[in-house]
Amino acid sequence: MRYSVFSLSANALSGHRRWKRVWRDAEPAEAYDVVIVGGGGHGLATAHYLARNHGITNVAVIEKGWIGGGNAGRNTTIIRSNYGLPGNEPFYEWSMKLWEGLEQDLNYNVMVSQRGIVNLYHSDAQRDAYARRGNAMRLHGVDAELLSSDDVRKLAPFLDFESARFPIMGGLYQGRAGTARHDAVVWGYARAASQRGVDIIQNCEVTGFVQDSAGAIVGVETTRGAIRAGKVGLAVAGNSSRVAALAGLRLPIESHVLQAFVSEGLKPVIPGVITFGAGHFYISQSDKGGLVFGGDIDGYNSYAQRGNLPVVEDVCEGGMAVMPMIGRARILRSWGGIMDMSMDGSPIIDASPLPGLYLNAGWCYGGFKATPASGWCFAHLLATDRSHETATAFRLDRFESGHLIDEKGAGAQPNLH
Amino acid sequence: MAEHLIHSEQEGWALATVMARRAVGPAAVGAALELELRDEPVAVSNGAIRAIGTGPGAWLVIDTEPDHGFADALQDRLEGLASVSDQSSGYAVFRLSGAGARTALQRGAAIDFHPDVFAPGSVATTAIAHIGAIVWQVDDSPTYDVAVFRSLSGSFRHWLEETAAAL
Amino acid sequence: MRLPCPYCGDRDAQEFSYRGDAGPRRPEGEDGLFDYVYLRDNPAGPIRELWYHANGCRNWIVVTRDTRTHEVHGSSLARESGA
Ligand SMILES: Cc1cc2nc3c(=O)[nH]c(=O)nc-3n(C[C@H](O)[C@H](O)[C@H](O)COP(=O)(O)OP(=O)(O)OC[C@H]3O[C@@H](n4cnc5c(N)ncnc54)[C@H](O)[C@@H]3O)c2cc1C
Ligand SMILES: [Zn+2]
Repeated sequence: MRYSVFSLSANALSGHRRWKRVWRDAEPAEAYDVVIVGGGGHGLATAHYLARNHGITNVAVIEKGWIGGGNAGRNTTIIRSNYGLPGNEPFYEWSMKLWEGLEQDLNYNVMVSQRGIVNLYHSDAQRDAYARRGNAMRLHGVDAELLSSDDVRKLAPFLDFESARFPIMGGLYQGRAGTARHDAVVWGYARAASQRGVDIIQNCEVTGFVQDSAGAIVGVETTRGAIRAGKVGLAVAGNSSRVAALAGLRLPIESHVLQAFVSEGLKPVIPGVITFGAGHFYISQSDKGGLVFGGDIDGYNSYAQRGNLPVVEDVCEGGMAVMPMIGRARILRSWGGIMDMSMDGSPIIDASPLPGLYLNAGWCYGGFKATPASGWCFAHLLATDRSHETATAFRLDRFESGHLIDEKGAGAQPNLH
Repeated sequence: MAEHLIHSEQEGWALATVMARRAVGPAAVGAALELELRDEPVAVSNGAIRAIGTGPGAWLVIDTEPDHGFADALQDRLEGLASVSDQSSGYAVFRLSGAGARTALQRGAAIDFHPDVFAPGSVATTAIAHIGAIVWQVDDSPTYDVAVFRSLSGSFRHWLEETAAAL
Repeated sequence: MRLPCPYCGDRDAQEFSYRGDAGPRRPEGEDGLFDYVYLRDNPAGPIRELWYHANGCRNWIVVTRDTRTHEVHGSSLARESGA
């Protein structure tokens, strides 16, 4: 079924009770050309682009729980392409361009909303750093604007501009950035992939790999039996090390928990996305009205999908410091997701040392915005055995060769990225 | 009821950190100072000086009526056993007493000050309102002393006054 | 989450800063340096890890903790456990 004005009105007349699941819940077949492990945004987008761009449709996406139950359904939905380093910026801008046409491509409303992001700065040094980042963006043809304090005041008059410790001196603004509806992104890609013949297999955990006598990966062992595959692609986000270990690989990754929070629904109060520059706090408002906010990762290895109170306190203090009016809102819910924190804070889209096995990992806390380009580039790699031109820097061997992509300059300490 | 918490800043105390050299145990350091030292978070006194346990092999040593050259004299006694650094101007020490003292501390630090687990002589190195603090109980009236870095004493006093006002 | 400091007792995790897996050993020469700096087991389950009791006794401690549940099984001073 295609969505159109007519399908919408017909369903409106029947009280929206007739909508059906828009993708097939498939049973595993014996073999596929490509098996993708992980039914988050990245895995499903990869399947979609394998079919759409490369005509490879004999594909399965294998998910241990339900699709979108991982980080795809837990993130704070911010999309942006305001990176500073040449290894990153073309890729994230490619992703932004894909977001801009995604609804037409998928025939699905993923609620992309380019409401802008402003990264606040509070010191001369920070302004210089943001000016440099903005310039780097513009050199890559990406929109960036350095705002003065007065410009920010027009945008967000409710911020605490005169705070003695963290006066708001201005911000780096990207107008094309914004948010997208995370669950819809999952369902939109699932529907598009499913329509092109991809099998989406839920409640099926990969528990091992099938190797041939030469050591190449030729399939996966799962809780629902072995499935043979021409190629296997991992897109399991926070579980990357765990799944790679089943093939005997150690990755330059640690798993960490990141928490997020949402307030009760309010009338529109925040125009776009705002990040505090003097503490870990960022915020936007969902279309339902909830203030969606978060801050730093908890900072210790975790697979528990829930965090601890120090970060709750830290995030709330950051919120109160930059935006005192948030103190009047009540927190409705908070939750955690498991990040694949890489050693330089940047992702990996590359072949593994084992023939037949490919990696899509290391997305840290920033992989939602990457979903379209990650799928596009991973599909390109799986189909052609070559990196896509925007993802050539995301190599697995860069840690050994010294070609790190360290936006923060924090070094090999994943909890500092 | 703010009168339940009495607080003041100690003046004229001499303080020094004492850190045992590698492989020197607390007994040897204690013998040189005429104190019964253990590797535990407790405060011990010999009438003249007091040692507050802040870590294995580490103490904050205090003389409340010091002679000139307190830290130098300490260093002479601990030659070859421990390193000494004068902290007399490094730390500010606040005294909290009165019925509200325990409640006030409880509002600032994430540790238990119930008398069953924290009694006269008990020590905790912790954080109060994000300010690093060494707390020890002086008597069971109760009276507590709290040492904080002097550069943060303004912030600490602010916290103390706010907390006292809200008791 | 509270961590048991062998000296200070149970303390809120906020008092500590995290270093990570206590397992990797710095090699003598260049061989193995890449593994030491960049590669991690990143286990789902018990891990021995280094924490620094910054807002406490200022000692490095080794905590055994389950990364799936955050349950803590024990701790020792790093210098005593040879970490
Ligand atoms: C609180 C929070 C806020 C965030 N905010 C943002 C943001 O604002 N902007 C942004 O760009 N990014 C953000 N992120 C990061 C982003 O969500 C992730 O980087 C991204 O979603 C990861 O890709 P994914 O969607 O494919 O992951 P996931 O949805 O986690 O998909 C991985 C899937 O693999 C499955 N899996 C794991 N092991 C196995 C196995 N053995 N067999 C089968 N399946 C398996 C999992 O069940 C899971 O469904 C945030 C993350 C969190 C947790
Ligand atoms: Zn301690």
